This record gives sequence, structure tokens and C-alpha cells, in this order.
Amino acid sequence: MAAQEVRDADLRVDGVAKRYGAVVALGGVSLSVAAGEFLTILGPSGSGKTTLLKVVAGFEFPDAGRVTVGGADITDVSPAKRNIGMVFQNYALFPHMSVARNIAFPLQMRGVPKSEIDRRVIQAMALVELQGYGERLPSQLSGGQQQRVALARAVVFDPTLLLLDEPFGALDRKLRESMQLEVRRLQRRLGLTTVFITHDQEEALVLSDRIAVMDGGAIRQIGAPDEIYDRPADDFVAQFIGESNLLVGEIAAPDRVVLDGGTSVTVRGLDGGHGRVRLLVRPEKMAIDSATNRFTGTIVEAVYLGEAHKLRVKVAEGVELLVRGHRAVPTGARVTVGFAPEDAHVIRGAG
Amino acid sequence: MTPADRVRRRAVGSAIVLSVPAVLLLLALFAVPLLRLLALSVEGGSLVAYQRALTNELYLRVIFETFKIAAVVTLLTLALGYPVAYVMATSGRVWQLVGIAFVLLPFWTSILVRTYAWMVMLGRNGVVNRTLIGWGVIDSPLPLLNNLAGVLIGMVHVLLPYMILPVFNAVKKVDPNLVLAAEGLGAPRWRAFLRVTLPLTMNGVAAGVTLVFTLSLGFFITPALLGGGRVVMIANLIEEQVRELLNWAFAGALSAILLALTLAAFWGISRIARTRSA
Amino acid sequence: MTPIKLNRRELMVGAGAAVLTARSAFAQGEPPKPKQIVVNASGGSMNTALRKAYFDAFEKETGIRVVETSPVDLGKLKAMVGSGNVEWNLTEIGGQDGALVQRLGLVEKIDPKLVDRSAYPKEARGEYIFASSVYSTVLAYRTDVFAPGKQPKGWAEFWDVKRFPGPRSMRNHPVDNLEYALLADGVPADKLYPIDMDRAFKKLDEIKPHVNVWWTTGQQPAQLLLDKEVVLATGWNGRFFDLMKKGAPIAVDWTQGSLKQGTFVIPKGAKDPYWANKMLAYMSDAKRQSIYANELGYPGLNLESIKYIDPQAAPHMPTHPENLSKQFWLNVAWWDGNLEKSMERWKQWLLKK
Repeated sequence: MAAQEVRDADLRVDGVAKRYGAVVALGGVSLSVAAGEFLTILGPSGSGKTTLLKVVAGFEFPDAGRVTVGGADITDVSPAKRNIGMVFQNYALFPHMSVARNIAFPLQMRGVPKSEIDRRVIQAMALVELQGYGERLPSQLSGGQQQRVALARAVVFDPTLLLLDEPFGALDRKLRESMQLEVRRLQRRLGLTTVFITHDQEEALVLSDRIAVMDGGAIRQIGAPDEIYDRPADDFVAQFIGESNLLVGEIAAPDRVVLDGGTSVTVRGLDGGHGRVRLLVRPEKMAIDSATNRFTGTIVEAVYLGEAHKLRVKVAEGVELLVRGHRAVPTGARVTVGFAPEDAHVIRGAG
Repeated sequence: MTPADRVRRRAVGSAIVLSVPAVLLLLALFAVPLLRLLALSVEGGSLVAYQRALTNELYLRVIFETFKIAAVVTLLTLALGYPVAYVMATSGRVWQLVGIAFVLLPFWTSILVRTYAWMVMLGRNGVVNRTLIGWGVIDSPLPLLNNLAGVLIGMVHVLLPYMILPVFNAVKKVDPNLVLAAEGLGAPRWRAFLRVTLPLTMNGVAAGVTLVFTLSLGFFITPALLGGGRVVMIANLIEEQVRELLNWAFAGALSAILLALTLAAFWGISRIARTRSA
Repeated sequence: MTPIKLNRRELMVGAGAAVLTARSAFAQGEPPKPKQIVVNASGGSMNTALRKAYFDAFEKETGIRVVETSPVDLGKLKAMVGSGNVEWNLTEIGGQDGALVQRLGLVEKIDPKLVDRSAYPKEARGEYIFASSVYSTVLAYRTDVFAPGKQPKGWAEFWDVKRFPGPRSMRNHPVDNLEYALLADGVPADKLYPIDMDRAFKKLDEIKPHVNVWWTTGQQPAQLLLDKEVVLATGWNGRFFDLMKKGAPIAVDWTQGSLKQGTFVIPKGAKDPYWANKMLAYMSDAKRQSIYANELGYPGLNLESIKYIDPQAAPHMPTHPENLSKQFWLNVAWWDGNLEKSMERWKQWLLKK
């Protein structure tokens, strides 16, 4: 396989809709993935992300909309002819075939000559560092090794697109992290356009060029990880990605918002609008003894995370703020917390 | 010995203890009668019965015919049963239950009643022929009864559940993602079936084949009633010796030969299945 | 047998028994009554008729319940006697098996003091074998194919497929068929035995292609005629009688029918043999035999019973004088010695292409 070659295949999904009886799984989803890009579709279970993946892979046919890869419309093409590599959640290795035969399978289906199959299988096994495992059965491999086989099988035939369906779910944390990096490295090396499905936001942030956040069969926001994290489009995205403090209030002046509790805070980026807004402040942007936008309260929970302390501060009846910082403060202590005006992200609308 | 070994050993130990009642039951109901049967066949320490069975052209020929019929019945039940089992196993829960009910329903009807029902269905003036003639498909009745065809139809009908259920079970155990994976990797549906589903269901097929083949070898009501006298299976001859001629030594010898050949066939099938699924 | 006679005989037997066992507490000399006796027979309509003709009366008069089981199974009889666990007090056996069970010692003697067969023909008073009825394997035909009077009469005509075309059914068994073949080949009825097997099988070759079904169960030939699967069939006269009573277009020709006895025996070592003999006494009663005959077409061997048979049913009885003279008695003794050999040959012949 030509590892240096950067593939020129981009994926476009246009207005894809799918319903099962009365349940709308996809309500007209559109997105595009650039050639060589690693896009993550992130969402809770039932958000429609798996259905979208199945539509792209060809296992489900959409009720409406088109799917194109590298400019070619593949909406009505059978999965066998789509030339898409896919790694399943449980790897879906053929249990009755050896590692080598698993990896050879897509090449055999394409009528590749025997000698070339052997060569490419050896190459693929080297790529995922499984030299010498060719004759083993999948059941004789560890979870991580099985995943490498699945990966090798998915890329050995030079697919135009790689789909990864929650491939790390079954691995323990340490192995998961190293596999994540390995997959990313491999993807970059092969220049493969990749769509990755997960419900794990950390994973998404670590791996992706861009993230599409899905919920209720629709994409809520699509963007680079920092964009999604720092400037979520709505409450759902804000709460699904990372932890957050959401403060609700009304614009009172070009740089002031009066919160529903009566406190007045200074923020940037209101751009002269008016009406109700929500302010998102990430816990790590909250600081003890902040100079601006101060709230006083009692620590109700203090958790030591190793690299940081996480504090829950009760500032009013029913209002708690999350603070992440380097200072250890005991439970029950009275503290003053606050944030800088530029650290609040404004979300418009009533929500 | 590692702790894991110890656990495994204990599990093996309790498995042996748990299997004691079943083993005793098998001994009492199966092994003892079998030994008595063998003892009968060498009555008076003589192998005359075996000599007669193995030198008389009639018995050799009937044994050969019996195995031939059993093989054909097995292939037919496989050809008919596999698709049914496959469709059942891959359809929704409701259809699956309906399918199982239809497969099991005949189990609650006696084999004699079912055989008589086929006599009504398959006769020259039976339901099948009258319908086909009524539709203009055929001009004169097909010979479906009182010949080998009738016996095959009757036996396949009785034995189909024994093929469908193990295959159904095997197909159900195949992870549907494996088939999707195969298709995604470039296999058209039929190749995905041949390369993935079929080999992974070979155990079920082997179980079904073994059941149907060995059960076929012992059939006598169906051949007697649907064969019109032209189909003789070894069990018919054994039954005649036991019930009509009271020659139990000879019946024992015929049974022992049938048993030996059945075990040989059983061994052969399991060998083939092992090499196929490996 | 009138009730008064029966009572007198019982008293006489009772007196004899009392002398032998002087200290016996049984005033009437009867052994104690079991709760039930088990009678094994062919089943189906035959058991229904047995109940109607004999069992109901027996139960009412003795207070002993009669349990019916089926089917007739010689192998089971042998197994029961062999294991000493005899469940049957009385069992029917195949007509040709009488000599076999006697030879193998599977049966008890019938007590002539309890079972009066003085009205039986001499040859039907077996020491071990109780002849319950007479049946015949006869030729039956579809009346819509062969108008009565134009049917084949005798086996030579049955063999004549040009004059009497159409598919036939015969029993999948050498008994009867070997006789029929010889009769068809011109052997006189009194010269049938010992059977010339070569000649019989050679003659059977001729009819083989025209036999559509070689039947196994008694129900088959009747059903085959009814469904018009065949137009001529051999079979047990009672089965055809049943269909004719129901108005089926079927009739029987008695020419060269093969007569046999339906027989009952007391298994060796059976419990309560006294009561089994008692049951046989009921079964030898002329009036009761006629009830059975009217029902099934199988008359008893008590020659008095013909008087009580329904005049409409009488012509359908194998023992009706007009029918009896046309038929022959199967030679059970010859078959006893030749059954296994001829059955083996029969199968070989059947499978021959």
C-alpha cells in the first residue's frame, strides 16, 4: 500500500433522512469531510450517529438525501462496491479465519492475485505491528491485537474512506489511549479520510480534526475541537462536551448582564444585542479570589484529581458553580470565586 | 497449579458430579438394553445370525438401500431446512416465534397420523394431484405415493424439524455484524454467505445432518405405508423378525450391524464437519 | 348357552374345586375376583365390537373391569412371557401364529371345563388356541368399474389384466398370495399344500407390474379402493363390509377367498387364568358372537350363532353357506414351518427389478 499517497476522496452527506416507523433516526443531515480529514461524530446513544454511519457504509438506505465520496454518488451503491473500510465496535473479525486470512479477505473479494495478496497482508500486518501473528485465530489474540487486525483489514485494500464505529469501547483505559494515538498516527500516515463515531467526548477532543455533535437525529454543531469546547453553539453542546457553568440572565448594557439571581456581571461579546442570554464559563476559567464577576459561597464538595482540584461551590439556594484549579480548599470553607469578562461565552436565545 | 487451574479443576470436578444422574439414566435406559441386544444376537455363543445377515443378498441390499435413502433424505432436509432456518433466524422476533411454532407443530401429531395424511395428499386422486390437474399444470397424476418419492416426502416431512432447529440455532449465533463486515469488505451477499455464514453454521449443519441421518436409518412406518411395498428399509426387516417371526437372535444381529454402521457414519460426519469448520 | 346352563356348570365346577381344596373359604369355588383383567386385541373398531359383544356383559355380570389394550404384538407377548411380567390376561394373535406360540411355549391351555366349545367344528377346538371368529382374505372391487356380476371371480381372473384392467393392491406378505398365485396357475384348492414356491413366485411375476400398492395395514386396501387408487384389492372381509355398510361403491367376491381364524390365547404365566377362561366362555356364546359378527362381518365359530345373525348381514359373512363353499382354509401348520423362509424370499422377490 502506498502510505505516502494522500487520497483525494472527500465525503459529502446531503440532507440524509431516515425514519423507522414513527421514529426519526436522521432528520435531514448534511455534512462534509475533507480529503484526509479525521472527523468525529459525537453524540449520546440514540442520537442517530450510528444510523448515519450505516448510511455512509451502505448498510442502511436513506429515505432521502445523497451520499457522495470523491464526487461520486454512492447512495444506491451496495456496500460491497463502496470501497469503504470499516472497523466495527466489536471488530467483527471472522472467528473461523486466521489473522492473515481475515486481512486477505477484502483483497480476495477484489480478485487480487495470490502473490500480491500475500505481500500486502504482510505489509498490513507490519503496519499494525502484528508480524508473526498471521496463523493465529482471532480468539487467540488480546483485545488490542484484535483491534489492530480489524484496522489492518479495513485499510489493506486502499479504501477511499475509513469508518470507525466506537472501536475503543471494549479496551481498558491505558490500552485505549495508546490505541487512539496509534490509529491517529496510522490515519495521518495513510492520509485516509476518516469518520469516527463515539459517545466519549474526551476521545473526540483528542483525536479529531473536526467534531460533529449530534443529538435527536440532527447535527447541533460542527467545528474544530477547541471551537466546540470554547464556543458551543447551544446548551446541549456545552453540557455534552466537558463540564460547564451556565449562568442565565438578561442583557442590561453593551457589556453587562444581570443574572436571574440579581447579580450583575461584566462580559465581552454581547455585540450590542439585547434579550435573554446564557453565559457559559468552563470550570477551569473560574478562579478563587477573581478580580471580576465575584460570587461568594461555601465549598460543598472538593475532589482531588491529581493534576487539579475540582470544587463545587454553593453560591445561592439551588445555584452551584464548578471550579477547577490548583488550590486545595477544604469542604465547608467560605470562598469567593469569579471569572474574567473575556472568559464567558455568550449563548443567545431562551434555550 | 495456578489459582485459575484450581478453579478449572474444581469446575471439572463438579461437572462430573452433576453428570452422574444423567450417566446412570443413560446406562439404565440405553447401555443395558444395548448389551442385552448384543447378547441376544450371539445366542448360544454362535455367530450364525451374523453370518446369515452378512451373506444373504437380501439383507446386504436392504442395508445399502437404507443408507442410500437416509443420505438422500438428509440432503433433502438440508436443502429445504437450511433456507427455512436461515430466514427464521434472520427475521424479526414475531416471525421467529411463528416460524418455530410451525416447525414444532407436527411434533405433537403422531407419526402414524402424519403418514396417513400424506396418503390422502399424495395419492393418484389425492389433493396434490387433483390441484395440479385442476390448474392445468399436469395432465395425468404424478406418481407421488407408493414408491420411493412418497417415502422421501414423508420422511423429509417428519425429519425437517431435526434439521431446522439446530441450523436455526447456529444461524442465530452468527453475529450479524460479521455479515455486514464481509459485505463492507467487498463481498456480495452470496459470497458473504458462503465465506462467513455457512462455515460458521457448519456445527449446526453437522448436528442436523447427524440427527436426520441416524433417525432416517431407523424408519419403518413411513416406508411401509408410503412405499407401497417397494421400499424396504432395514428397520422393516428387524421389526418383522421381532414381532412376527420372533427370531430375536437374528433381529439382534441385524440391529447390531445397523448400530455399527450408524456409529461409523456418525464418526464420518463428525470428521467431515471438523475439517470443514476448521 | 342359556344363563341357566351357565349357572349349573359353574356350580359343578364349584363343587369339584371345593372337593380339591376342602379348607377353601370360597363357597362357590371361584378364585378371588381381581379388580380388572387386561385383554389385548387389534384395536379400533375391533375393540369397540369386542366391548359391545362381550366386555360390557362380562363387566356387568362379574364386576371385574375389562381393560382393553392394542395392538396385537407377538414380540411383546414373547417379551412378557420371557420376563415373567405378563400384563395381559388374554391376547389376540395373528391367525397363522397359533402353531408358533404353541411351539415356543408362550401360551396356557384353555380349560375345557370353563369354556364350552361343543357347538364348534371339531378342528376349531384348539387345546391352547381359542378361535374367536372367522375372517377371510377376499377380493374386493369397485362397483363403478366392474358392475356386479362382471367382476373377476377367482384368482385366474384377477391375474387376467386384459379382461379386468386397472391397478390392483395385494398384501405385502407371502401368506395368501402364494396360494392365490397357485390357484391362478390352475392348482386345485385341495392340492395347494405343500406350496410349490418356485411355481408361485413365477406366477406372481406376472401380476407384479399391475399391483400398485403392496399393503401393510388392514385399513389400506379399503382406503385405496375408496380413493380409487386401485380398482381391485385383496383384503380382510370385515374392512370391506364396513365400507359397504356405509354405502361405498365396493363389493366383495368370495371366490377362492382364504379363510382363517381370529384367535385369542392366554399368555403363559398370566395372572387369574380362571377369569381369562371365563371371558373365553363369554366369547364362545352363540348370541354374543352374533353381535360381534353383525358389527364387523367376522362371525364366530359357534355354529349356533348363525341363527342370530342379522339376515341383512348374513350374506357378508365368510361362513354363510354360499360363501363358505367357494373358499379354502389357509393351512396354518404349513405356514408355521415355512414362514421365515418364504418371507425372506418374498422380500427378495419384491425388491427384484
